[in-house]
Amino acid sequence: MAQIVGALGVPHTPFYPFLVEREGPQCETAQLFAAVTAELEAMRPDLIVMFDTDHLNTFFFDNLPVFAIGVTDAFKGPNDEPRSVPIYTIPSRPDVARHVRAAAIAAGFDLAMTQQFTVDHSVVVPLHFMTPKMNVPVIPIFVAGHVPPLPSARRCFELGAAVKRALESFPENLRIAVIGTGSFSLEVWGPRSAPGKTDGVPDPEWAKRACALVGDGAYDTLIAEASEAQMLKAGNVGGEILNWIAMLPSVGVRKPKFVKPQMDQGHAYAAWSWS
Amino acid sequence: MSVYAVNHLCREVLRDHAFRAAIKSDPAAAIAKYDLTDEERTALLAGDVATLYRLGVNAFLMGYLPRFEVCGLNLPTYNERIRTCAGDMPR
Repeated sequence: MAQIVGALGVPHTPFYPFLVEREGPQCETAQLFAAVTAELEAMRPDLIVMFDTDHLNTFFFDNLPVFAIGVTDAFKGPNDEPRSVPIYTIPSRPDVARHVRAAAIAAGFDLAMTQQFTVDHSVVVPLHFMTPKMNVPVIPIFVAGHVPPLPSARRCFELGAAVKRALESFPENLRIAVIGTGSFSLEVWGPRSAPGKTDGVPDPEWAKRACALVGDGAYDTLIAEASEAQMLKAGNVGGEILNWIAMLPSVGVRKPKFVKPQMDQGHAYAAWSWS
Repeated sequence: MSVYAVNHLCREVLRDHAFRAAIKSDPAAAIAKYDLTDEERTALLAGDVATLYRLGVNAFLMGYLPRFEVCGLNLPTYNERIRTCAGDMPR
C-alpha cells in the first residue's frame, strides 16, 4: 500500500523566484525554501499531493468549483507570468488521482475533476524551489479559498482526512508527501494593501496565532477560530490557510520538525516527516 | 452581471497579449466590444478602481491593470485609489 511519509506547509509568493534570483542563495526566502526542500528530499517521495488555491487562473467565474482535483498525465504552468519562472511541464498520476476522487466522493466529498488544465504560481512557485527538475509527479487538489463563501475549515480538514485515507488505500508501494500552500494573513491588490505596495498583512496577530496552533497540533482550536469572518479579516487571500488545514490530517498527532514564520508576509514554512 | 465582464476583461489583460497591447494604446476602443454599464466603462477608462471594487469587481484581478500599466494605472495610483476602500467590509 502507499504510505504518506511527510508533509510540508509553504507559501507561494509569486515574486519570490525573482527575489531569490536577485538576492542570492543566502537571502531569507532562499534559506527557508532550502530548509523545506531538504526535508522533502529526505522523504524521497514518489508522489506529491498538493492542496492549493487557484487564483482564478485554472478556474474562473464561469466555472468555479469549491473543491477539485487534477486528473491527468501532466500539466503545465505557470499561466500567470510570475517573473523568473520558466513554463514547466509537471508530471502527475491520473490513476492515483482517479482513486482519490472516487474515494472522496464515496466519503461524501464531491470533488470536481479537471483533465486538461494549467496552473498558476500558487502551484508552480513552491515546485520551482523544491523540485525544479519536475521529476516527482504532483496531484493538485484545488480549494477555493479566495472567493466567498469559503468552504469551512472543518470541511477542509475532513476533506484532507478523506484524501489521506484514500492515498493510504492505493495498492502500490508509493511514498507520498502532502503539501499545503498559502498565506495566513495577506491582502493582494486589495484595499488593505500597505501604502505603496501590491500587498499587505492585515492581521499579523492571526498569522502568529495560526502558526502557534499549527506548531502545537491544536487543530480543533485552529478550525474553531478559522471562521470565514476571521479568514476574510486576515486578507483577501486569507482563505489560503484552508490548504494547510486540509494538509494537517496527514500529519495526525505528530509534532512538526519546524514551523518557521516569515511574518512580514503573513505566512510560514513547516515540515513534518516520520518515515 | 456585467461585473463578470469587468473581471473577465481584467484577466484578458494577463492572458491575451494582443488585447493587452490594444488596451494600452487605445483603451476605449479595446473595451468597446465588452457589454458594460456606463458606470463600469467610465470607471474603467478613468482607472477608478475604488468604484469598480465597490461594484463588486475582484481586487486580485484588478491588479493586472496596474501590473501591466493600463487605463492610466500604475502601482502608486492603484494603491492610493484602492486604499480608499480600506474601511469596507473585508471580502
